[in-house]
Amino acid sequence: MNKALRDKKAILFFILPAALLFTLVLFGPILYAGYISLCDWNALSKPKFIGLKNFKALFTKDDVFLTSLKNSIFFMIFSLVTQQIIGLILAAILSGLRYGKNVYKNIIYLPCVLSSAALGLLFSFILKPNMGLNQLLAIFGIQGPNWLMSVNGYIPLTMWVIGVVALWIYVGTTMMLYMAGIAGIDKSLLEAAYIDGAGKTKTFWHVTLPLLKPMARTTISLTCIGSLKFFDLVYNMTQGGPNNKTQTMATWLYFEGFSYFKYGYASAISIVLLIMCLLVTFIINRCISVKDFEN
Amino acid sequence: MKSKALSILLSVSMVAAALTGCSVSTDTGETTPSTDGAGTETGTDTTGSTENKTETTDTSTASADEEEITWVFWDDLEASTDQMTQLYAQTVERFNAEDNGYHVNVITTNLEEYDSKVNALIAAGDTPDLLICNPGPNADVYVDAGVVQPLNQYLDADPEWRDSFAGGMFDRVTYGSDIYGIPTNFAAACCFYNTEMFEAAGISEVPSDMEGFLDACAKLKEAGYTPLTCSASTAWCLSMIAGYCMNREGVDTEALNAGTAHWTDENCVKGVEDLVAISKFFQDTYLGDSNDDATAHFYNEEAAILIQGSWCIAQMNGNSATIEDKCGVFSFPSVDGSIGDMIVKTDNVLMSATTEHPEACVAFLKMLTDETAQKATAEQAGKIPVTKVEVDTSKAPKQFGYVSDLLANLTGTIGFYNESLVSVEAGDTFDNNMVSIVMGDETIEEGLQNIEDFYKENAWQ
Amino acid sequence: MKKITIPKVIIYIVLTIIAVLYVAPLVWIVLVSFKTNAEVFSNPFGLPKVWQLGNYIFAWTKGKLGIALWNSVFVCVFTLAVSLLLGAMAAFGIARMRFKLSGATLTYFMIGMMVPVHCVLIPLFVMFSKMKITTPLFEIRFTNSLIGIIIPYITFALPMTIFILVGFFRSMPGELFEAACIDGCSIYKIFFSIALPLSKTGIFVTGMMSFVNTWNELLVSMVFISDPEKKTLPVTLTYFVGPYATNYVQMFAAIVIAVIPTIVVYSIFSNQIVEGLTAGAVKG
Repeated sequence: MNKALRDKKAILFFILPAALLFTLVLFGPILYAGYISLCDWNALSKPKFIGLKNFKALFTKDDVFLTSLKNSIFFMIFSLVTQQIIGLILAAILSGLRYGKNVYKNIIYLPCVLSSAALGLLFSFILKPNMGLNQLLAIFGIQGPNWLMSVNGYIPLTMWVIGVVALWIYVGTTMMLYMAGIAGIDKSLLEAAYIDGAGKTKTFWHVTLPLLKPMARTTISLTCIGSLKFFDLVYNMTQGGPNNKTQTMATWLYFEGFSYFKYGYASAISIVLLIMCLLVTFIINRCISVKDFEN
Repeated sequence: MKSKALSILLSVSMVAAALTGCSVSTDTGETTPSTDGAGTETGTDTTGSTENKTETTDTSTASADEEEITWVFWDDLEASTDQMTQLYAQTVERFNAEDNGYHVNVITTNLEEYDSKVNALIAAGDTPDLLICNPGPNADVYVDAGVVQPLNQYLDADPEWRDSFAGGMFDRVTYGSDIYGIPTNFAAACCFYNTEMFEAAGISEVPSDMEGFLDACAKLKEAGYTPLTCSASTAWCLSMIAGYCMNREGVDTEALNAGTAHWTDENCVKGVEDLVAISKFFQDTYLGDSNDDATAHFYNEEAAILIQGSWCIAQMNGNSATIEDKCGVFSFPSVDGSIGDMIVKTDNVLMSATTEHPEACVAFLKMLTDETAQKATAEQAGKIPVTKVEVDTSKAPKQFGYVSDLLANLTGTIGFYNESLVSVEAGDTFDNNMVSIVMGDETIEEGLQNIEDFYKENAWQ
Repeated sequence: MKKITIPKVIIYIVLTIIAVLYVAPLVWIVLVSFKTNAEVFSNPFGLPKVWQLGNYIFAWTKGKLGIALWNSVFVCVFTLAVSLLLGAMAAFGIARMRFKLSGATLTYFMIGMMVPVHCVLIPLFVMFSKMKITTPLFEIRFTNSLIGIIIPYITFALPMTIFILVGFFRSMPGELFEAACIDGCSIYKIFFSIALPLSKTGIFVTGMMSFVNTWNELLVSMVFISDPEKKTLPVTLTYFVGPYATNYVQMFAAIVIAVIPTIVVYSIFSNQIVEGLTAGAVKG
């Protein structure tokens, strides 16, 4: 077995096609973006090398970037906490359902299969000051706030609102992955626990949960990276406004590059984003150690 | 499961429709006006729109011996309901049908991805022969990079064409002595008002000075109307009013850009104070309303005044059957009642510096500005022609006539603020800080200081 | 049959409330798509006064949704087939084969998930516009052709596919492979006839995610494709956003049309996943 698994030719056969394609089409341009991040470039004339100036400007002069950094980190933490907890609970409940499991699962997963741009547009309608949600609240005599234009506080209300919409959309993915994880658990382990007299909750806590660790690592990584890169919803709901208070790193990068023709600067933001993602992944891998399953 | 759920939903809503006795319309909104009973849907019927609807844009490829040029445009020529876009589509069709040995291929995008597309094409060395562009910092970028070429030689070669343009048309696309763009139409920002509401509020004359304007707003409010509709979430809508206020207080953008005036100067402060005073009369929901919402408040007759570019004429008339007869137009008031500058915006077509078919490009530019196209610009799209053509105002939307009357008495024009400042980013900085000031997130001094700081950092070096 | 208990009833009530929260906004999209533009603003949340089927007719004909739909299907099928195959192979290699750099390889691929598409767009476009394969019979261009967007889509889909599938392959019991090995199976056969079928659930989940991403991708498609006959669905949806005003109703009609294939694909595969889940459960 071991010998077969160490077969160099086989390793190359499995990995090389994907690696080649990835290197040529994606990693090459990423490297190029890395170089561009050290340049002053408007995409129309030749890049001009300026060293680390872009990075220095990002952290010392650009207040909007610092806001976007704060917002992106907020999104990451908010999404992580809410999507993990709710996704896991939903997965646990739905997995145990006898009837209607698939109906509920499919409904909750539905937004994941829709374009987030369209959903952003949808919610920008629902959250308009005189429409939808506020009309509903008015029935109960509550004057709803201006959901998408509130900027007070360290984390403005608008950010929380976008966070909740993101939860609404993406919790389905987390739930789905956990359901797949739960389905993959050896039923005999659970039965053994029941025989030992453990209740449902206890079994879940002591048997199911530890076995879901690898899946947790996957979903946590996906959520973190996804929310750091968060673009569509913010762009379609607020365009980063009012006054750049809801910019995230990805939207700010977009504005700098594509509206203001500062591609070098935009690339610098994407490099910071990349480094943050790598850092987060590293931390996740450190914190959730997954033992080799063969043992 | 999902499909089942959806089909159930669909059928439920259909049944609900049947139960509530709703009728079903298959009107595509293409041929207007509609005849449905509920009368919710009627459109403009600007003359000529019916025949243009039946034509389709010719996207066929050129025959072998034709010179092909490409033009990048920021809207879809066929699906768009924008009257101006439809007019461009007709001109393209006319150009390709004509036996001139040329063929223009239009690459369409939407406005949002337009710059991305153009920049990618340029970076890849596939600069399109012609591109449409806003004046100001957007065009500056292309001119500075040498991507586009001056058009003086082509204009000079055909004095008749050159002289057909109305005075001052090239001002905003001239760099030094070089003209870099051909304007194809322009729009002016005016105050559209609901004459019925003005009458009901007892306002006999449209206001010409700031005091009178605020007075009129107060009267409208007393009479129970929403005086003004505006959008702050589409920042440029608010900043257009801000631009007017600044202009009326004597702020000079060129001096600001050159660094000889400052954003913290007294006249800037005054301008923003006027803006804040006006903003008290906006509809309650202006912060969250988009541009489309704000315009809808006006044509649905919920608000009395809309300050907007004249492109909204077609949009208003297209969505409301009654607004054309009730809508009057006046100039944004000045401080002392004199006639102030008008904010205008042109669409411009620039020509690639590396084009291999300059004659074909020029032929197309000429067609965009020929009599047929320019007449239709007014009569069909309600925008203002750039050449001195005779417009049959009876064919054009009524509001067009009012706007041209205002323009006839005009002393000067200025650009949109976000197109008159040093860069696109500077324009956005201005827009954003105006929004923050109006919504109370920043004081006037803080907001202006922010713009001043931006200029110190990015412009005055 | 167990008795109906109160906690169970509560669970069902809560789930139903959640389901309503999910379905209601989507119903709204459908309703809006039957209204007129003026009605969207004056009566955004009621039933349409007149059901404007014309919106759909307009969207379908003027938006050229037919050809766009076909292009999108073509692009998606290709992208999914290739990215799932290559991704599964690489994931198997990383998860199961023993070599020093397996961890590093995974991280390398994951970098692809960490960079927003905007920052690679222009370098990618420049590179693709310079590439051309010329043969005596035909010429393949990489811009303004469907191939030119399929290749980036496959590559964008790879990192996530690999990342998720690595998890699935790692969680498979090793005894299974050992037994096969003892039976004389080659490593290739183990992959294609044991590992691949067993990871059905994972392939479904990643396939669905890649499908959604590809189906909805706008920016690359917008920048790479100029020919109206080759545009994909998300691009045509933007047709209804004009420079000065948005044609909401027809855009929503187009969105509804665009969503239907997604739901069809999902329904087809969701039966697969039910089988996949039970199969996984039985084998453990």
